Amino acid sequence: MRRRHVFAAIAVGLGLPAVCFSGFGCKGSDSATPSGDASTIKIVSSLPRTGSAKGQTDTIVNGIKMALEEVEYKSGNFKIVYEDLDDATAAEGKWTPERESANADQAVKDSDVMVYIGPYNSGAAKNSMPITNKAGLLMISPAVTWPGMTKPGKGDHGEPEMYRPTGKVNFTRVVPADDLQGPLGAAWAKSMGVKTATILDDNEVYGKGIATLFKERCEEIGIEVLGKQESIDIKQNDFKSLMTKIVTGAAKPDLIYFGGTSQTKAGQIAKDMVEAGLDGSKLMVPDGCCELAFIQSAGNDVFKTLKCYVTFGGLPPDQVKGKGKEFVEKYKAKYGKSPEAYAVYGYEAGKVALEAIKRSGKKDRAEILKACLSIKDYDGALGKWSFDENGDTTSRTMSGSIVNPAKGDFDFVAQLDILPVK
Amino acid sequence: MTVRKLPWDLIVVGLLAVLPLIPGLVTGIDRTLKVPIGSELTTLFIMAILALGLNVVVGYTGLLHLGIGAFFGIGAYTTGILMVPSYPFQVSFPVAIIVATLTAAAAGVLLGSPTLRLRGDYLALVTLGFGEVLKFAIKNLEEITNGTKGLNPIPPPKLPGLDADWSADYRYYYFLSLFVLFVVLIVLRNIENSRMGRAWVALREDELAATCMGLDTTKLKLAAFALGAGLAGLAGCLYVVKLGNTADPEAYGFNRSIIALCCLILGGLGNRTGVLLGVFLVLGFDNILAPVADKYMQSLRPTGAEVKDYTTFSFWRLMVFGLALILAMRFRPAGLLPAKRSPTG
Amino acid sequence: MALDLVLFAQSSGNVYAQSLINGLTFGALLALIALGYTMVYGIVELINFAHGDLFMLGTFFALTVLSTLGLTGAGAAGASSGQLIVAFALMILLTPVFCAALNWSVDRVVYKPLRNAPKLAPLVSAIGVSFCFMNVGMFWNAMIPENGKTVPSAADRNFPSLLSNDNLLPDNALKFTVKDAVVIGVTIPIMVALTLFVKYTRLGKAMRATAQNPTAAQLMGIHVDRVIGATFAIGGALAGFGSVVFSLTVNTIGFQIGYQNGLYAFTAAVLGGIGNIPGAVLGAVIIGLIRSFGSVMIGEKWTSALVFAILIAILVFRPTGLLGSRVREKV
Repeated sequence: MRRRHVFAAIAVGLGLPAVCFSGFGCKGSDSATPSGDASTIKIVSSLPRTGSAKGQTDTIVNGIKMALEEVEYKSGNFKIVYEDLDDATAAEGKWTPERESANADQAVKDSDVMVYIGPYNSGAAKNSMPITNKAGLLMISPAVTWPGMTKPGKGDHGEPEMYRPTGKVNFTRVVPADDLQGPLGAAWAKSMGVKTATILDDNEVYGKGIATLFKERCEEIGIEVLGKQESIDIKQNDFKSLMTKIVTGAAKPDLIYFGGTSQTKAGQIAKDMVEAGLDGSKLMVPDGCCELAFIQSAGNDVFKTLKCYVTFGGLPPDQVKGKGKEFVEKYKAKYGKSPEAYAVYGYEAGKVALEAIKRSGKKDRAEILKACLSIKDYDGALGKWSFDENGDTTSRTMSGSIVNPAKGDFDFVAQLDILPVK
Repeated sequence: MTVRKLPWDLIVVGLLAVLPLIPGLVTGIDRTLKVPIGSELTTLFIMAILALGLNVVVGYTGLLHLGIGAFFGIGAYTTGILMVPSYPFQVSFPVAIIVATLTAAAAGVLLGSPTLRLRGDYLALVTLGFGEVLKFAIKNLEEITNGTKGLNPIPPPKLPGLDADWSADYRYYYFLSLFVLFVVLIVLRNIENSRMGRAWVALREDELAATCMGLDTTKLKLAAFALGAGLAGLAGCLYVVKLGNTADPEAYGFNRSIIALCCLILGGLGNRTGVLLGVFLVLGFDNILAPVADKYMQSLRPTGAEVKDYTTFSFWRLMVFGLALILAMRFRPAGLLPAKRSPTG
Repeated sequence: MALDLVLFAQSSGNVYAQSLINGLTFGALLALIALGYTMVYGIVELINFAHGDLFMLGTFFALTVLSTLGLTGAGAAGASSGQLIVAFALMILLTPVFCAALNWSVDRVVYKPLRNAPKLAPLVSAIGVSFCFMNVGMFWNAMIPENGKTVPSAADRNFPSLLSNDNLLPDNALKFTVKDAVVIGVTIPIMVALTLFVKYTRLGKAMRATAQNPTAAQLMGIHVDRVIGATFAIGGALAGFGSVVFSLTVNTIGFQIGYQNGLYAFTAAVLGGIGNIPGAVLGAVIIGLIRSFGSVMIGEKWTSALVFAILIAILVFRPTGLLGSRVREKV
């Protein structure tokens, strides 16, 4: 290409954007689509619907839909429309930052959208929170538990302010954060007589976060942590070598804590413990493993010799009373099986969204957000709780269960937040 | 000028530049498809720069590179380290973009130097290995990279004379990325027709003959690695600035490299316009078509029914993608738009 | 990392021996998959990215066999030894046949039309086949019920533990279980058989000839196309044996296991010298050992990075792999 063509091309290339940028003021905002229908309110959810978390997100979506069905998709004069967005792609098999941002972008641009339920992963929330915050769109997450999203000082440097560019709170969650679950798990372990523990995690935001919180609490209350906190590579088939290291170490631990989910190989850890002869030790896992898929992936037999304890926010389906019990009955009637752990969070998130819309009575994001944050003493499927000034639930109910190999399900053991402190 | 000789890649860029200026067009597409098309296109531009970088190594020089994701990551994290508040640097965007590109290019030379003796698929494996090592380094060296939590937040560019809220309107990032893509295309165009470009072709066709003709194959290979890595680093910088954080380390792994390679080979190896086409098809499918199809299938389903796996589009995504690749290769093995001088065998 | 090494030194001496056993058994398993990679590459110069996923489909086939016999879930516990023997026999006979047939068919349909195409076209097709296999794996997972219930398609699947975990060694400090014995007991005879096959049989010689120079082989009257098909079939069968051994010893399968194992197997094949059969075995064993020792000495999260770092180092000094022959370029 001749020199002068090059210069001409560069001139055009520079000129065009300059023209466009300068014309921005006159163009007017291209950002929000005018509302199609003044009487329609949209609720969208952004969850990983492709890949290994699909099982869990299916239950969450079922929960949301049940909540909406109860009011027949209506609130006052408004018609409620629900959209189930996917923040995962086929190529990656899990959530991606681009998809989560795109979902948030799209929700913000569509002026019918009043509530954004999601996401499922703490890492994904980092992408969508600033976007929805700028638009003042209410976010309700049924599953994000990293404390730094809402609690000042509990997360990394700069959290949660970096997620609130406008300075106002727009992110809420119906699930108690890990700064509650980790320490209560440690207290529970102590009450079981555990003196030494080995800590493992899956090297992801949630798993590593809660394992670290568990470890810190153990150190505070006198449980000796053997070795360093070890992260696993979740792409490996098995962890025999890791178990070898633990078994041949100075002493066998009383308890092994694995911070992770059933998608990040918790079942495999259980299996490898038994194979390496560590089934004398207890295994404790957080709520990411509180699902049937965890027991299925390890197989019932493993738990015949290995005692596996699970911590979980709220109470299990057979222990709930009041509205929670109604939800369980309805779910069983509709789907023919007991709801899984996260279904109730999805249901509660849907109910909260409806409550906020009802209270505000208007199709206005700021009003609905204000109405949601003002929810106090809400009597829902998760018990009686309120939102605090950070958007966190005040619910501190945490339960501990053990895996029952005969049933292939979880058995309730104790309510952890009311455990006597030793 | 014949149709073939027209600078199609620049024409496409020109059309894309005009797209947002047509009033109502983008908003209209947004509303019908329910996908933020402007933002998605910006991502495609950034990935196009990445694919063009890979094209330099695989297309022009004929070296199979399976680790371009690593250099994407190097550019991304360099930008992150230079721009986030948790580090004391906090440089401006133009400085960050230059440093990121140069760092990635330097890393490219670093990878290239010890591997010059390797042929074909052995080189492929080394590049793959390097990609994996780097991904794990990013994931595990938490003190530097913050591991899976990522570096957060990356402030939007502050360009002189432009005081605007970058996240409010997609057009800022859109035009920035499009402009960079445009410059990259011009630069590549000139390199292709230069002495080095022709030397690369000679190297690709027959390395032994090229050496006999007096070409310094070492310098040429290193130059190819450097340029390819540099472009990948450039793309990485734009990627994290647009996103506002450095995302999950998995985004810089083998998957990214393989998808980039697929875009390249599907579109047409060695052909800039082909690369653009490949990126639009492959990533357009994943980022634009798949969500649209998903929503369409959702709208067909009666509300309240239980979501069954196989009634969602996302369940079949992998297979559709795979079949598309197989069919495309079956009927157009040299790519949809093969290069004028196709690499042989 | 330094703390890990200190702890490692402090732990009992058994950790070396146990890591050795772990490494060798994993290496043997990997070798079966690596052999398939190396044979196909040797003959058509194709990196068959779908090979790992073929292995994954083999594991689901094996699970289907068990499911038909009623040995999954609760059924596995109450199986009699007669039933178990029938199950093993069926799995070990049928799975390799399935994988061989599948691999052969994919070659006929997808790769054969691309024999004369630019080199990267079959590579991208293989990537496409890999994605398709993964989707089929997801679907298959949901098709096999567990205790009467459908399992979520994308979740890890438990494979019944039919082999006992009893230690064959008297002293319980070191574990060499029945499972480890099965791995070694199946892989070594197969590798020996393969080496003899390639060296002494007509087809084996034809394969070597085709790998060396397809045109000359054709001139010699070798039906090159059939030989290529046979190579794919044999490579597939090897992956099939690998599937059965893997399922019985690791006891967890899922639609994504093909990715990681395929990556390691491909690395093993290249490490040993791609196209070289003993090389693939050597490479696999080395990777297995790096994996087990690396995990204990440096930390579980660095093992993969370590494998690749060592690979790069070896290739820099031996550019054609450990046992690969230097190919002299013909002018």
